[in-house]
Amino acid sequence: MSGDRVRPDQVSGLSRREFLGRSLALGLGGAALGVLGACAPAATTGPQSQPPAQAQPKRGGTLTIVRPIDAVSLDPTNDTTAAGGWVATNIFESLLRLDYDMSLKPWLAERWEQVAPDRWRFYLRQGVKFHDGTDLDAEAVKISVERAISPQSRAASFFRGIKGAEVRDGYTVDILTEGPYGPLLRAVSTWFMSIVSPAALQKYGQDFGRNPVGTGPFKFVEWRTNASITIERWEGYWGDKAYLDRVIYKVVPEESNRMLALQTGEADMVFIPALAQVGQFKRDNRFVVHEVDGLRVVFFGFNVNRPPVNDVRVRQAINLAFDRKPVIDNILEGNALPATSYVSPGIVGYKDLSQYWAYDPRRAEELLRQAGYSKGSDGFWAKDGQRLSLKHYSPRGRYPKDAEISEAFQAAMRQFGIQVDLQILEWGTLLNKYTRTGLDAELGTLGWTDVPADAHYTLGALFACASIPPNGFNGMEYCNPAVDELTARGRANPDEAQRGQLYAQAFEMMAKDAVLVPVYNTKETIITSAAVKGYRIHKSEYLDWLQYTWLDK
Amino acid sequence: MGRFILRRALTSLLVALGIVFLVTLILDLIPGDPVVMILGQNATAEQVAALRRELGLDRPLLLRYAEYIGRAVTGDLGRSIMTRRPVAAEVAEAWPNTLLLAATAIGIAVALGIGLGAVSALRPNGWVDFGVRLLALLGLSMPIFWVGLVFIYIFGFYLRLLPIGGSGTPQHLVLPAVTLALPSVALIARMTRSSLLEVLGEDYVRTARAKGLSEPAVLLGHALKNALIPVVTVIGLQFGQLLGGAILTETVFAWPGLGRLVVLAIFARDYPLLQGIVLIFAFSYVVVNLLVDLAYAWLDPRITYA
Repeated sequence: MSGDRVRPDQVSGLSRREFLGRSLALGLGGAALGVLGACAPAATTGPQSQPPAQAQPKRGGTLTIVRPIDAVSLDPTNDTTAAGGWVATNIFESLLRLDYDMSLKPWLAERWEQVAPDRWRFYLRQGVKFHDGTDLDAEAVKISVERAISPQSRAASFFRGIKGAEVRDGYTVDILTEGPYGPLLRAVSTWFMSIVSPAALQKYGQDFGRNPVGTGPFKFVEWRTNASITIERWEGYWGDKAYLDRVIYKVVPEESNRMLALQTGEADMVFIPALAQVGQFKRDNRFVVHEVDGLRVVFFGFNVNRPPVNDVRVRQAINLAFDRKPVIDNILEGNALPATSYVSPGIVGYKDLSQYWAYDPRRAEELLRQAGYSKGSDGFWAKDGQRLSLKHYSPRGRYPKDAEISEAFQAAMRQFGIQVDLQILEWGTLLNKYTRTGLDAELGTLGWTDVPADAHYTLGALFACASIPPNGFNGMEYCNPAVDELTARGRANPDEAQRGQLYAQAFEMMAKDAVLVPVYNTKETIITSAAVKGYRIHKSEYLDWLQYTWLDK
Repeated sequence: MGRFILRRALTSLLVALGIVFLVTLILDLIPGDPVVMILGQNATAEQVAALRRELGLDRPLLLRYAEYIGRAVTGDLGRSIMTRRPVAAEVAEAWPNTLLLAATAIGIAVALGIGLGAVSALRPNGWVDFGVRLLALLGLSMPIFWVGLVFIYIFGFYLRLLPIGGSGTPQHLVLPAVTLALPSVALIARMTRSSLLEVLGEDYVRTARAKGLSEPAVLLGHALKNALIPVVTVIGLQFGQLLGGAILTETVFAWPGLGRLVVLAIFARDYPLLQGIVLIFAFSYVVVNLLVDLAYAWLDPRITYA
């Protein structure tokens, strides 16, 4: 089938970075926000608050971005990959904006209030026009909300608490939830719930994803499949107009070529740079490396029902016996952070729980002795003549260095006296075990992003009793009614701070139960030429606003 | 000749039907639930049920196969699961790019390959022959992605003569076409050389020389055409392969052809798209084989297909 024979999984960067079907996270934030009352901060002028004072921004120019893979679709309800978000977040806007600090800000909605436990009212900014010249009104919001929650929407699973929308008057719209649904504001700030032009939906039908029409500072120009997407400044934008004339997103699958394109000036910005070269670009003043901690956690999950790891002391001992620092430093070359919770900082429900897995081999040995194990002359821990050994599954190339960190864990356990039999499985096979047939091993490597940026999503999908295979993603088979109860109470609470505390309690219970071996938290990294000014990287890997970005050349 | 073409076309049709059947079968061979694999982590139960219906997994294999054929005849290859666009539209966009790249590459390969092979055969074991044979060995042994990266480094980065990758202008075509052509150049040159050497030893060549024809006239007028039959076979096979999309070359040079599309379809488990692409691959191969057979008849009129 090909001129040059190759196994598809050998083809460069693609698989390695888990692009296809990778779902992204929206993040959300630590800062508590008064949700019940209306809140209408002073003039905001678009996605970004004013950039820090720099040289006087220049208008004009074309920004060329190279990225490993094309968008699937520019219809916000039909693409859950970062590749779609990168482009679409400049074309579309949502009711609320998830700012760089992970707090919520007014955007197309100027203010909002909760008028009943299951009803929220949004007051829209007036005078906003779509790129096709039609007005943004309550009807457009209703249509956009309804298509985001419909079964055809790829993002439907993130919006399970939302029932529908009702138009109150021209610029006021109510969103209805199934009972009290605390994370609603987080949900409507996702790009999957961008407000789209009803006229364009009507006109293009199923081809809307190729002819996107929103209210953002850039409008769509052209899409050459697997080659490039072009957008240009929209002069009719309601806020501060963009500085750049055009942005071209090119597909360059091979990571070393993306770096060369930046060096020759063919590109001004690189998404998903070659991690091994990041250090070199940091030392070169012709380039700027933008970094921020991201929203994905990569971990090894225990199947808590399988002996010997059905004993909590064994799970705790394994957590304490694994020194994560060399793994982060050497294998991920500093491009990740040690995991400090089951979710990332920035998610509602995050709390630093790393004390439960801080490296402490002595304490680990003690726990194993309490569990009835003793160290044999062969260097392995054993109980009743049975060596302590574990089966461990990992994908390769689904998450950054997933197989490599699993191998490092195997080596570390060998040194500590636990035998780990590691099997690298094709992702589809592993996914089927996690979700359908059950994890027939003691450990499995997995990465997880809390997409709505509110931990009820992670708690419900990964750790709820109701999500044990074949009904969901709880391959850990962890079932704790107290955790389910905290999740439900959190989800019903509209107060973000209180909600976060309830989730954090649930995570702390699980940390004590050592349900996972948390390993690392991703970092987001984008490299630009030094001529690119006013750019800021977002923690959420799909939000990439270019409204205030300009070129100094 | 007309009957021959008709017969070949019918055989080709059978081949295509067989291939579609195999691709339809893939869905049943996947371990586990293909719909869950396709939709991944964030799908709802309604989405799983809807896609199962759409893919026809609630119906028997043979019925699904018959339906696919029925729709394919009208040009409807279904919709891509990934992009939800018609498969025919996706393939129609990538196909001209692959065709352009493959045709350019095979053009370079034929010109260079036959030229070098002929020069080499004229002075066997001379300096030129030695050089060509060495080049051919290198061309065949070097991994294509590595050659591509080296070319990009030299011509794109170091000399800055050509773009690093992408498509759209003739300059963008140069590096991927040359890279893709290299193994074919090597193969064609070697085949031309050995075939020519064999022919040059034939009686009629000795006769031609004996009647005083110049060496170029002997070569071009008498030997080359007869030596080309095995070469044409090789060219046909190579071209058929190139039309299947050069996965590595298209990836290294960011060329938006069928090779890239097939990789994406495999990763996304986009079976309708995969089916459509495989159908095009099969079709290309069959057409090229037909052309090769016709070329035989032209090169050697003794070959007839009654």
